[in-house]
Amino acid sequence: MTVGAGRISGSRLLADVRPERLAYAAAICAGLVWLLVFPLYTHDQYWQSVLIFGFVFAVMAGGWNIISGYCGYISLGQSAFLGLGAYTTGILTVRYHFEAWTTIPLAGLVSAAAAALLGTVIMRTRGHSFVIITIAFLLILELVAINLRGFTDGTTGITMPLTFYPTKWQNTPFYYVFFFLMLLSVLMTWGIRRTKFGTGLIAIREDEDKAGAVGINTAVYKVLGFAASAVLVGATGGVYGYFLTFIDPTGMFNILYSVFAVLAVLLGGRATIWGPVIGGLLIELLREEANVHFGGSSLDIVIFGGLMAAVVLFLPQGVVPTVSAWLQRRRTRHIPGVSELAIDLRAAGVPVSTGPRGSDRRLLEVDGLEKRFGGVRAVDGLSFHVREGTITGLIGPNGSGKTTAFNLIDGMMKPDGGEVRLDGRRLTGRPTWERAHLGLGRTFQITRLFRRMTVLENVVAPLRAFKWSQLAAGAVAGHEVRRAEELLEFVGMLRFRDTEAGALSYGQQKLVELAQILMLDPKLIMLDEPAGGINPTLIERLAEKIRELNAMGKTFLIVEHNMPLVAELCDPVIVLARGKTIAAGPAAEIQADPEVLDAYLGEGWTADEMANV
Amino acid sequence: MHQAVQTIVQGLLLGGVYALASSGLSLVFGVMNVINVAHGAMLILAAYLSWELWTRAGIDPIVGALVTTPVMFAFGWITYQGLIRRARNAAASTSVLLTFALAIMLEGLMGLGFKNVYRSVTPSYYNRSFKVAGIYIGEARLYACGAALVVLVGLWLVLTRTWAGRAIRASSQNPQGAQLMGIDVGAIAALTFALGIATTGAGGSLISVLYPFFPASHYLWITRLLAIIVLGGMGSLGGAVIGALLMGVAESLVAVYWDTSWVTGVPYAVIFVILLVRPQGILGTRTREDVAAA
Repeated sequence: MTVGAGRISGSRLLADVRPERLAYAAAICAGLVWLLVFPLYTHDQYWQSVLIFGFVFAVMAGGWNIISGYCGYISLGQSAFLGLGAYTTGILTVRYHFEAWTTIPLAGLVSAAAAALLGTVIMRTRGHSFVIITIAFLLILELVAINLRGFTDGTTGITMPLTFYPTKWQNTPFYYVFFFLMLLSVLMTWGIRRTKFGTGLIAIREDEDKAGAVGINTAVYKVLGFAASAVLVGATGGVYGYFLTFIDPTGMFNILYSVFAVLAVLLGGRATIWGPVIGGLLIELLREEANVHFGGSSLDIVIFGGLMAAVVLFLPQGVVPTVSAWLQRRRTRHIPGVSELAIDLRAAGVPVSTGPRGSDRRLLEVDGLEKRFGGVRAVDGLSFHVREGTITGLIGPNGSGKTTAFNLIDGMMKPDGGEVRLDGRRLTGRPTWERAHLGLGRTFQITRLFRRMTVLENVVAPLRAFKWSQLAAGAVAGHEVRRAEELLEFVGMLRFRDTEAGALSYGQQKLVELAQILMLDPKLIMLDEPAGGINPTLIERLAEKIRELNAMGKTFLIVEHNMPLVAELCDPVIVLARGKTIAAGPAAEIQADPEVLDAYLGEGWTADEMANV
Repeated sequence: MHQAVQTIVQGLLLGGVYALASSGLSLVFGVMNVINVAHGAMLILAAYLSWELWTRAGIDPIVGALVTTPVMFAFGWITYQGLIRRARNAAASTSVLLTFALAIMLEGLMGLGFKNVYRSVTPSYYNRSFKVAGIYIGEARLYACGAALVVLVGLWLVLTRTWAGRAIRASSQNPQGAQLMGIDVGAIAALTFALGIATTGAGGSLISVLYPFFPASHYLWITRLLAIIVLGGMGSLGGAVIGALLMGVAESLVAVYWDTSWVTGVPYAVIFVILLVRPQGILGTRTREDVAAA
């Protein structure tokens, strides 16, 4: 059985890891029990307040972990939500006389709503803009809190009513409330990681365009991710205001607390479940130490800045994951890696091509498509169609606009003019994921798998529709696994199902990418240079798979430079030059067309030479 | 009417100084795709240096720019070699977190070295003004703006008339291509970063006269400068100048016609509006992200 080798090493790896995982779980449990009973056997107020701050940082870190650890959008404004929560309870309590316990959920909701709004505002932008806007958001809230004196009491601050329980309990009730919020934060992180929502966020972190192309509604996912990262921080801010009994702009919108949240996750481990908690408690201990030794001077700020720089540079995965990876490496040192497993070189029997295929129904219609980059007309009034059931080739010299045409068809770029219809429905103006839902699947010229997900996770990532309920659905459901395994078996990659996609060879990645888009069950499969950069054996396997799929009724649109492959697979072939269609027809005809030869090679070439290009 | 003209002129003068202060941030982003969150902290550092020069040796801050500029150039070069270089090929998030960490360290170090109190450099002309055609023009603003323009023209000449400048622009447009043409992209990145930080030398000296500053002022400055380059189009020097002039005028108008306590809110509002309405900024273009992704 061909899958044997991979399975064995996989299960051996698991067996090796298990004792450490058990020890880790036991340590976490022991720690939680200790934290639970701590206030019962000591009334040490100092340590209780240290732990309370630790919980606050843990919740902030947990929020940061969702938007920045899972989703990959770096936020430096995490304390904005703490302050927003505190001010919400402060104003509701003091001005509108709300009951304390009702203000806490409201604080969470207000923060989540603010985050969702902010997320919607910056939906169109990527990467760097997000960092900038999170800093601006934090500082603008501080400014508003200072300036709207009539509402927030400005720099004087809001003094909260004293707590309503017997004073001999001291801070113990607060301790348990914060502890509870921290557990809630862990539970939320764990829950998100197990659902489609979580894998969607990670897909966005790994490659946002690709996530859209496999049908993930990135807009909704990002907005919800940002709201989820704020909701518990807001609620915690509400309690925090009561705990401190005093709410003022500089204390509440303290950018240093954002630093603590970031640092906690970096120390504890990005995109892990318990990392933020471990990091949050660690940070608070460090903060206390720094306060004892350098309180009042600026040295503590230098130390935290230096620590952050050191962690970013030297332990980018975090302290806990680095240590556990090191332990794992020690134990698995003598187990062969993926690269040492031989590739299955099944002889590919190439069936004889069987006359004209396909119906007369136009599955894809491209009509007058235009795209300019500055002065360059990359696609210039392009029109063509793909008949259902065909393997249509799209060829043309470099720069003729093939990939741009792909990007316009699948929505990665917006056209300057023209229209695309799939199965009679207009695609123009729809986001990428909707096009995927309507039956469009595409691969990329350079493979774009989610490199840090396993092959299986990659193949189950595509979503064939968007439903609100799917957000809560399990990340990898049983029926999906069976379907994904069938598809992996189909492309001959099943043995690699638990390998990280980034560890595969380039050709193997192409096969996995094919399996991945098949998961969408697309009507039209668009392949961008499927044979580019992979070895001849894999090219044959790929050609064989394309034919099999076509026989099952799938329609293909293929951009390819490998002329023998195009001649063998595709009918009809469409030729692009300077952003326009210049010819279309059976491969043999195309190869003899003087205009095509001219576009490719200049004058004076023959069809025979062309076939060898 | 006089007041409106005067407000706009004062704003433009201020904008000239902002242009210098943000030029380095834009240059570094354009060439290296790194948002240097520590740019504001470096500006404040240069302001402290000119304060020291002025209080200890009586050197006028505008003249002091001749000292602070090379000092900050060296500081930028060392920072690049020691920190930024290591994050060159890492994800964008790494460089943001790294420069943010650097900003915090600098804030703390300035607190230790110069104490956490507001300073401002007060040469004889700092609160004097000319009256020209019925409007008042602050002397300090005029001199500072003039000096800023001189430095900006110098920067422009370096970028357009020297081999190093061409290499910087080439690396900014296509690093791989530049490398193939025999340009040492690593050395050019170091030079760019140093040059970008050198502008905070003159910039910091000039703002030390115009605004009181203390270590944590860098948050205010980095948001103002980020707003300027977002407004102008990230990575575009011409855009930074236009954005800076608009920012100067907008802040002056808010201060005169609304309320000085909302002046610092202008950059935040600009960031929100621009990212919502025209994320590429005034002079920015949307580039082909599909090709860059490879």
